[in-house]
Amino acid sequence: MKKALIVLEKEWLELRLQRALLLATMFLPPLLTTIAIAAFVLVGLVPASGSAGRLPLIPELVGLSPRELSQVLAGRQFSVLFLLVPIFIPSVLASYAIVGEKRERTLEPVLATPIRTWELLLGKALAALIPALAITIASATVFVAGVLVFAVSDHVRELVVTPGWVLAVLVDTPLLALIGVALIVVLSSRVNDPRTAQQISAVLVVPVLGLIFGQLAGVVVLGPALALGIGVILAFVAAGALWVATRLFQREVILTRWH
Amino acid sequence: MAHAIETHGLTRRFDGRLAVDGLSLAIDAGTVFGFLGPNGAGKTTTVRMLAALIAPTDGDAIVAGHALGVDDTALRRSVGTEQPGLYDRLSARQNLRYFARLYDLDAARVDVQVERYLHLLELWDRRDEPVGTFSKGMRQKLAIARALLHEPTVVFLDEPTAALDPEAARTVREFVKGLRAEGRTIFLTTHNLPEADELCDGIGIFQRRLLRMGSPAELRAGLFGAGTIVRVVGDAARFVPVARSLPFVRTAHAAGDTLTLELDDPDSRNPDLVDALAAAGGRIRYVERLQHSLEDVYLRLVGGHK
Repeated sequence: MKKALIVLEKEWLELRLQRALLLATMFLPPLLTTIAIAAFVLVGLVPASGSAGRLPLIPELVGLSPRELSQVLAGRQFSVLFLLVPIFIPSVLASYAIVGEKRERTLEPVLATPIRTWELLLGKALAALIPALAITIASATVFVAGVLVFAVSDHVRELVVTPGWVLAVLVDTPLLALIGVALIVVLSSRVNDPRTAQQISAVLVVPVLGLIFGQLAGVVVLGPALALGIGVILAFVAAGALWVATRLFQREVILTRWH
Repeated sequence: MAHAIETHGLTRRFDGRLAVDGLSLAIDAGTVFGFLGPNGAGKTTTVRMLAALIAPTDGDAIVAGHALGVDDTALRRSVGTEQPGLYDRLSARQNLRYFARLYDLDAARVDVQVERYLHLLELWDRRDEPVGTFSKGMRQKLAIARALLHEPTVVFLDEPTAALDPEAARTVREFVKGLRAEGRTIFLTTHNLPEADELCDGIGIFQRRLLRMGSPAELRAGLFGAGTIVRVVGDAARFVPVARSLPFVRTAHAAGDTLTLELDDPDSRNPDLVDALAAAGGRIRYVERLQHSLEDVYLRLVGGHK
């Protein structure tokens, strides 16, 4: 475990030296949070035109005032975007940490040390996961604070900051991030460019986009049951992806099959 | 003398392709062993097996007192492998500190060892500069420093002077001799044959399997036998028939004023040779011992197996 922390420390030292990558990666969540809160505030200030009663609403939204309805709809759409952050950040960081190391031919000297391959993998995974989860939780907390402060009513607060969404942030996002890292490891055995790995791993956003559009269309409501159900599925996917990743991330395989 | 490396029938296949075929060798501790062979001969695969990076398909080995496949983590702690990859964004000191910690050096020793090897390899003045700004030679020296941080008893060096200017190459050669003087065993893979001749106590010529092994002198004697070079006044070609007629001369060739002869026991036969050439009208300028280079040995062995 000690060596995993040494790897983690080195990864962060390298990350600090890559200012452009650091800025590009860490810039998105605060921007997203700012836009989300700004949109939430703005739709609360400007009453929606027309009557909310003409819209095909899901039962829990029936009876809301136009302002409330606007804030709930805006808040819910933006809240789901926070599920994208833990896919985006670890994919970028892990691709540089693993594919970059492969490209610079630094993996072999590391593997020649007494480090165990799981310690190396864990160090690299944590180096990508910790910042991703930290910034996701921090951004989501700021978003929640914004909702609590700027909501036009308690009803809006309850309908935006739902137990389902909180569960999704706390349970589903770490699993999504883990899948992202595992996918990067799998891709690293085949590609030599971090950007290629990122582009391929972007496929992970598809289910989240499905959730977003499902919410927009009113066919999906992110309740606790759905969040947990997604969590269970993600847990299985993560376990499978980690199994494949750890099989590929072995000294012998890295040295003889990663080209 | 104890063996630092001992292998028995070490074999490695990749998807049915034989990369290393039944390698058996024993290398004395505290010596420099040159491992020579053409590109693609299986040298890197051999080093990877001996450094416990990949497992052999068959056979076994003991390296630095550790049997392969038993406690490979302990084995890795006892050997150092020089490899090219370095973290370009990190400084020389940061690179070495990282590896020193991965090699389990305690906190107090990390900085001591890093400083020691940066000084020894003349990189101390550039210690805090990103490695990405280093020349190829400096990177090579840093890679050597990295391989030695944890004071391994067996060190694998791969073309350690390949990218160095003559002065830096000499520094590294002297450094390697110093490592041997400290009692370490150096396993040197190189294409620089004069360097191998200068540094190595033992040489293995390898092309998927071990073609020949011995000291440089043994290899020369085993392949070419003893010989003499005679420089005469005028064209040496007219003395070739005379030389060939002598019963102790095995081969004789002329080029310009030089007669090159392989013969049995030159120390006792050279006077008879000189007498015969003088009797045939030859006027002798010089008589010297025929020294085959390691390159001659290598080319004969490797060329003969292509």
